[in-house]
Amino acid sequence: MISVQNLTKLFGAQTAVDNLSFDIPGGQIVGFLGPNGAGKSTTLRMLTGMLEPTAGTANIAGFDLRQQPVDVKRHVGFVPDSGAVFESLSGLEYLEMVAALYGIPAKAAQARIRQFIAFFDLSFETLTDKLLGAYSKGMKRKVVITSALLHNPPVVFFDEPLDGLDANAAVGFKALIQTLAKEGKTIVYSSHILDVVERVCHRVIIIDKGKLLLDGKPDELVAAHQSGSLEKLFTSLTGGAELERRAEDFAKTFRP
Amino acid sequence: MNSVAPPVLPEPVPTVERTLRRLFLTLFLRGRGSRGLKKSTAPTSIANKLALTLLFYALFGCMALFFVNQDTFALSIYLSGMTFAFLGMFVASSAGEILFNKEEGDILLHRPVTPRMLLWTKVRVLVEVSLWLAGAFNLAGLVGGTFFGHGNWLFLPVHIVSVVLEALLCTGSVVLVYQLCLRWFGRERLDGLMTTAQVGMTIMVVLSGQILPRVMFKLDHILKPNEGAWWISLLPPAWFAGFDDAFAGSGASHSWLLAGLAVAMTAVVLWLAFGRLAGVYGAGLQALNESVSGGSKAARRRRWLPALVQLPPLCWWNRHPVARASFVLTSAYMLRDRDVKLRLYPGLAPMLIFPFIVIFQGRGQGGGGMGDFGVGLAGAYLGLVPLLGMGILQYSQQWQATDVFRSAPITGPAQVCHGARRAVLFFLTFPLLLVFAALAYFLGRDWSQLELLLPGIIVLPVYALVPSCLDGAVPLSKPTEAAKSAGRGLWTMGVMFISMALGGLAAYAHHQGWFWPMMAGEFTLALLVYVALRHSLSLLKWESAE
Repeated sequence: MISVQNLTKLFGAQTAVDNLSFDIPGGQIVGFLGPNGAGKSTTLRMLTGMLEPTAGTANIAGFDLRQQPVDVKRHVGFVPDSGAVFESLSGLEYLEMVAALYGIPAKAAQARIRQFIAFFDLSFETLTDKLLGAYSKGMKRKVVITSALLHNPPVVFFDEPLDGLDANAAVGFKALIQTLAKEGKTIVYSSHILDVVERVCHRVIIIDKGKLLLDGKPDELVAAHQSGSLEKLFTSLTGGAELERRAEDFAKTFRP
Repeated sequence: MNSVAPPVLPEPVPTVERTLRRLFLTLFLRGRGSRGLKKSTAPTSIANKLALTLLFYALFGCMALFFVNQDTFALSIYLSGMTFAFLGMFVASSAGEILFNKEEGDILLHRPVTPRMLLWTKVRVLVEVSLWLAGAFNLAGLVGGTFFGHGNWLFLPVHIVSVVLEALLCTGSVVLVYQLCLRWFGRERLDGLMTTAQVGMTIMVVLSGQILPRVMFKLDHILKPNEGAWWISLLPPAWFAGFDDAFAGSGASHSWLLAGLAVAMTAVVLWLAFGRLAGVYGAGLQALNESVSGGSKAARRRRWLPALVQLPPLCWWNRHPVARASFVLTSAYMLRDRDVKLRLYPGLAPMLIFPFIVIFQGRGQGGGGMGDFGVGLAGAYLGLVPLLGMGILQYSQQWQATDVFRSAPITGPAQVCHGARRAVLFFLTFPLLLVFAALAYFLGRDWSQLELLLPGIIVLPVYALVPSCLDGAVPLSKPTEAAKSAGRGLWTMGVMFISMALGGLAAYAHHQGWFWPMMAGEFTLALLVYVALRHSLSLLKWESAE
């Protein structure tokens, strides 16, 4: 479903993504991990057609990213980490606008929106009466997730989707992506909450400084590196252990 | 007979273009953000807002009736000039936000929409709204030009065509400037350049809108391009006035030439902006999403501000650390933040053109004449800078970040406001004072005239305190959407009247020989008010953050 070949992105002299290649079949949930500045968001932005790769390409849902970018966009859903929405639209206006961009007729869009509203426990009145600027962070996130799934895409990219969601909504969301994967959709899930990734993802890809470090099933990777947990494996690979030591030193020496 | 059920027609799906047009129109009319707006103040009636704006433009357009007895070219150049000013101001101030919105990338760039489609839809909305505004403004002129004075029925269709061309030229020019900035200077300097270009264009348009009517009423002979004023052919409003005059007026040869220029220049600009450079737009939108580090040069450029505040006299002036931090913060926003700059400088420019005009009008006239009054008025008008500046600077897109003041161990906003007003005085008011002083000296060649700036300088500290004390203006602490409903007009009118009175009084006192006693009196009064305001500000506590 996703095939990435030698994907590279340079910002001036700085290499954000360095010759990245991997394949993800349908029905798989893949945790896309890396420390801050590793190139995760840049990779997702390239795979969703938001950024043009400097080199390399990808094939997503049967379409070439460089040759058929609009077809790729039609077949992917994306929840960006910013959670940006047009704040002067009401929730319903926003979702109807997104539905129209994918060619979903108004009545069908309304029906799908109602399904998501029920799932996320939002009230229809809130969606119609309030402008998005007045929503809480969690409510905005629910609207953004809905807007990414409205057109029922075969490939969905999530960049920190749980940011702002309360515990119940987060549990519901995890169940949702597992259901979507069972239906054959490909889910790429980028997050810093590693225990969630460990629980819901079939596979993890860890990158750092734009390069691929590890790719495999979480339990197999943990066992192979004898690290005990994905979090320990991640910190040992990306220099987190050193940070722990530095934090201890800092706490000892810090004087306000 | 079998009854045949009517076929179920598939529900029509709105096209992407139509959806985007509706989206951008709604965003334009409502504003991009509604963060921090209470439900009661949220924009609800688009129709009311639009109707009021159009009514204002239509009323302002009635000024054209003063020109209906002049020939077609004179009427048209007034209408075209003012239309250019209004449209230019609208397009220049809206284009940056509409064409290159950073957050929009995260919402729309991963949807099945091409950059070219986005550009076309946005431009269509810009042109559409421009035409509404232009239509409202030109309504009275159209009626006057058709039915009164030298009017004839051909003026109606011809002027409508010229207004449409004008709107296209205006929008195309602004889009072209942005595309060229992007192509030549790249992402790293795009934000800064776009802001500078936008501020520059807006100020230029605002100033020309202020100056043009004065010129129109005073210099009738310059409106005759065939009578030696060849340079008027270089001005775009003259091209469209020539268009009207060629088809519905004198039909003179120079008018046909100008009409040709109007059509040709519009076509060239549109071809360049939408034909040749449309491809750059997609790259530009993508570039806004690229996170590029500014580089060491840019970082060095930014470091001068914290260093400056550590040097005398600023470190003596900002002894309190909170005031010093607020000085740096406010200065940084005045100098760097696109949104603040776009509201601050174009907001101040129209108010400050008047003293310039009065100084120029009084040049060479000393001793109690227009020269003295002009300098006195310019000095007194300086009070508008801190007053309006502090008023405008209380709004910011990052208003929620000012919670840092509330969570800091300080009881009220006094020191934060002091730092901000000092920044406004230092970076905006004092440089303008120097400009006024230099102008007054070089035009009058009379040192004694500079004394007349003193009455204005003495009241500056009072004006700078007024917004914080009476209007609760804490820098950057309110959402920008709230600024639209803010009524600063009353304050501005008050200061304008006081300035005129002070300027007149100062000129009279200077002439009569009791200028210095008047200064002593004004100084004492200003000192008392200043101390009272400062004291009341020091007693202010943070209001509850609703």
